[in-house]
Amino acid sequence: MLPAECSRRLVAELRDALDSCAELQRQLEQSLRVSRRLLRAWEPAETPAPEPTPGPEINEEAPSSACPPSPQDLKELELLTQALEKAVRVRKGLSKAGEGVKAHSLKSGSTSPATRASAPPSTSHCAGSCAPGTKPPRGIRHPWVPAKDLPGRRLLLVGDGAHMGKGAGANKPEAGLRDQQIIPQAAPPVPEAFTLKDKGALLRLPEAFRKAASRNARLWAQLSSMQTGDSVDAAAATAKTQFLQKMQTAAGQPGSRLSSAEVGRLQKACSLLRLRMREELTADPKDWTQEYRSLLTLEGLQALVGQCLHRLQELRSVVEQPQGPWPEGPPRAASPCGGGADPMWSPQLLLYSSTEELQTLAALRLRVAMLDQQVHLEKVLPDSGAWVTVCSGGVGHGEDSRLSLLVQPPRSTREGVDEGTCECAGALGGGGGTGAWCLDSCPRLGPLKCTRPP
Amino acid sequence: MGRRRRRQPDPADAARALPEAIAALSRTLPAAPSPEIFRRAKFDRPEAAPALWRLLFHVLSPLSADSASVSFTLEAQVRWVKSVLHSQGYPRLALVQLQDDGSQGGRELLLALAWLLARGPLPERLLTQSHVRLGDEMPVCECEALASPGPPAPRVEAEGSVDIRHLQWLMGKLQLRWRNLMAGQQEQCALLGKNPWQRIFCSTRLSWNLSGLQLLLLCGTCPPADLPAPQTQIHSYTRGCHSDRSLGHLSVTETELLRDPEGGRQLLQRLETENARLEAALEWRHRELVFWRWMDTVLDTCPLEASPPTFLPRIPEPGAGAAGLPVRELQALQEELQALQEELRKAVEARRAAWQAAVGGHGPEWRAARRALQVAVAQDLAALQWAWEQGKGQARPHGPRRLVRTEARVPGRLGLWATEATEALRAREACLEAMLHQLQGQCRQELARLVGVRPGLIWVPPPAR
Repeated sequence: MLPAECSRRLVAELRDALDSCAELQRQLEQSLRVSRRLLRAWEPAETPAPEPTPGPEINEEAPSSACPPSPQDLKELELLTQALEKAVRVRKGLSKAGEGVKAHSLKSGSTSPATRASAPPSTSHCAGSCAPGTKPPRGIRHPWVPAKDLPGRRLLLVGDGAHMGKGAGANKPEAGLRDQQIIPQAAPPVPEAFTLKDKGALLRLPEAFRKAASRNARLWAQLSSMQTGDSVDAAAATAKTQFLQKMQTAAGQPGSRLSSAEVGRLQKACSLLRLRMREELTADPKDWTQEYRSLLTLEGLQALVGQCLHRLQELRSVVEQPQGPWPEGPPRAASPCGGGADPMWSPQLLLYSSTEELQTLAALRLRVAMLDQQVHLEKVLPDSGAWVTVCSGGVGHGEDSRLSLLVQPPRSTREGVDEGTCECAGALGGGGGTGAWCLDSCPRLGPLKCTRPP
Repeated sequence: MGRRRRRQPDPADAARALPEAIAALSRTLPAAPSPEIFRRAKFDRPEAAPALWRLLFHVLSPLSADSASVSFTLEAQVRWVKSVLHSQGYPRLALVQLQDDGSQGGRELLLALAWLLARGPLPERLLTQSHVRLGDEMPVCECEALASPGPPAPRVEAEGSVDIRHLQWLMGKLQLRWRNLMAGQQEQCALLGKNPWQRIFCSTRLSWNLSGLQLLLLCGTCPPADLPAPQTQIHSYTRGCHSDRSLGHLSVTETELLRDPEGGRQLLQRLETENARLEAALEWRHRELVFWRWMDTVLDTCPLEASPPTFLPRIPEPGAGAAGLPVRELQALQEELQALQEELRKAVEARRAAWQAAVGGHGPEWRAARRALQVAVAQDLAALQWAWEQGKGQARPHGPRRLVRTEARVPGRLGLWATEATEALRAREACLEAMLHQLQGQCRQELARLVGVRPGLIWVPPPAR
């Protein structure tokens, strides 16, 4: 067993790590789901109905709508609306390729959703491709088929729509009409399911959305420009600093406000210096100038690190141990990107030209995040009093540092010695994952007590 | 009014200015109470306190906590706010002396809010956090990689000691999760190219180029041909659709809103809410001066705090506040710097020795060249130092970036190229790996030392790979 307080922190850290991992996973899965769905055929065909219908189901019972006047009427109404929309769209589609969908997507927003509304079109859509088993679509299917080859005709009269809805085997719509044909929504041709692949380039964003988005960008730009210095700001800035100072003196607590910012700077300095050192050490000098330059740089870095250490020690001698009634807070990890940096938003783009680039970048990003987490955990471990060595391989990367430690309990308490140790060796040698053994107290704190391995 | 005194400000305006400023503030902050609460808080009315505690909680917690905030009781929120303020260096003790049930202290809370507002661009920062993202975002900077620590979820703490097996299990679970993540990411990102042949070909090619990642990429399974390819395909297919020419194609979010109008409506609503908050923030920026004058009066109504005896003035500078930093952080930083120093010392010694040995063979032009090099290096290092001194170290602002597919190397495109970001990440990866090995080495050394102390311990090193 591990000492309670120290190990609880470790468990908490591990749980946090697991949680953030799970969060990343969740986001990734959701994104995948959305993307995949977009790449499939959109259903129902080109009609982003308010409620995605599950294919060829003909539900006569409206699941959720309020008492409809009659199923037939609603069906007719919906049929008509669909027909109208389709007609407008195909019409426009013939003249201007791009506009059709936009108009349609605007219109669909205003369509009153009837739950069974999308059922007829999709069933009749299905009728073209696969045989439906039920009666009503058969009636609808029939007259549409010949009409499908005649695009560009005008709309069918309302009456015929109603007529159609009323029963199976109705008269052909051509009977009684002259040169009006309904553009078939039923048969496959135009409402061959919309796929991004074929028609993606035709999409247009709705007007309201575009306006809101551009207004958003404009407002952000205004806000950003305000941050970068203004005459209006100057007075406010002085007022703010004065207020802060007054707060400080009123509190009667002198100390170093600067030190939290200072520590942040030192942390940043540390990471920048380390990065630079890595660069220098891995660089391969080709001639003596480069070698000398490299040497000078390293010496310079050494001097800088010395300065930072000196400054840090000064700070430490000054900053008192926080005492008093303040509750123990969560240890906040300083972000390497500079916690004090202004998070001003401006449109930032990440440009890529090939899928491989993006994939590399994403994989690398994950790997860096994982390493970051491992380093953090590795720093926490010694504090917890448990000497656990982590298998750092991650995903098949080279240097696993698996450490095996056999712990023999003192002779007096040992039972079945040889079998015990052999068994342990076996378990350690063969197992994957972490080989972890703990000593019962932190070496800094007290004497060691060896425990039997679990 | 008969008098034409245009120059003199209308007194009615001045009287309105403060409420309008506070109203703007209230409209721009998330979960802010009505302006009336602010006024009551000045007079320390009890009903103002809970609302202000909640406001502070929302303001201080990162975005992820917003949805979870309902699970926190007021008391938990109060305690969390107190600890966060402390870690940020809040100077006034009166705040921590307020009761945990959140029933009192409106004025103190008002001061705390003002303190936060004065220290940095708080409304803007909050707006950035909750910004509606219309593009496919990918964060490339380190601070976004993992979720920042928010208020700890109320979970049952394991009492008593912890079994080592539980720890092992947790670690194994973590490793497995990372593996799944990597594989999933691969699938998401590409399924390289539009057709399956290209897919397989590309993966093989890549395995040669990227040594560190080769296993990674082969691990990430190439899904079968019938699975549609996500993001980048969507980008290619919608090329030419966007009204904004600099973007050129739709993002997944935008395409989704076309497919699903209901979702589109919600997105639009969120956009409009954000626009309203942005306008309120702009208004706040114009009017905030009068707010600060008012806060001065609020501060004046507070009694002066007695200087507590435990804190001795060490730094004579005015305007300084208690740091309240956990000592552990400082210790960790010191150790890091010391490790760095040690590594540098060894490297410098080795190189200096090698240099001295080789230096004999250089001619007189050597001196001039040497001086030039010294100057160049000094400038280099000064720039490096400036990077951390100035606070705005990175030239590039951080934050998630919108993915845009574009033709390779078109000049004049504003934005970060994926290849450059990859380079930066590789450097960071190398750095982290080195650090990890170093830490593990330290761990091993410590263990070895312990083993040496106690007889009867057998050390079995890992089998060499």
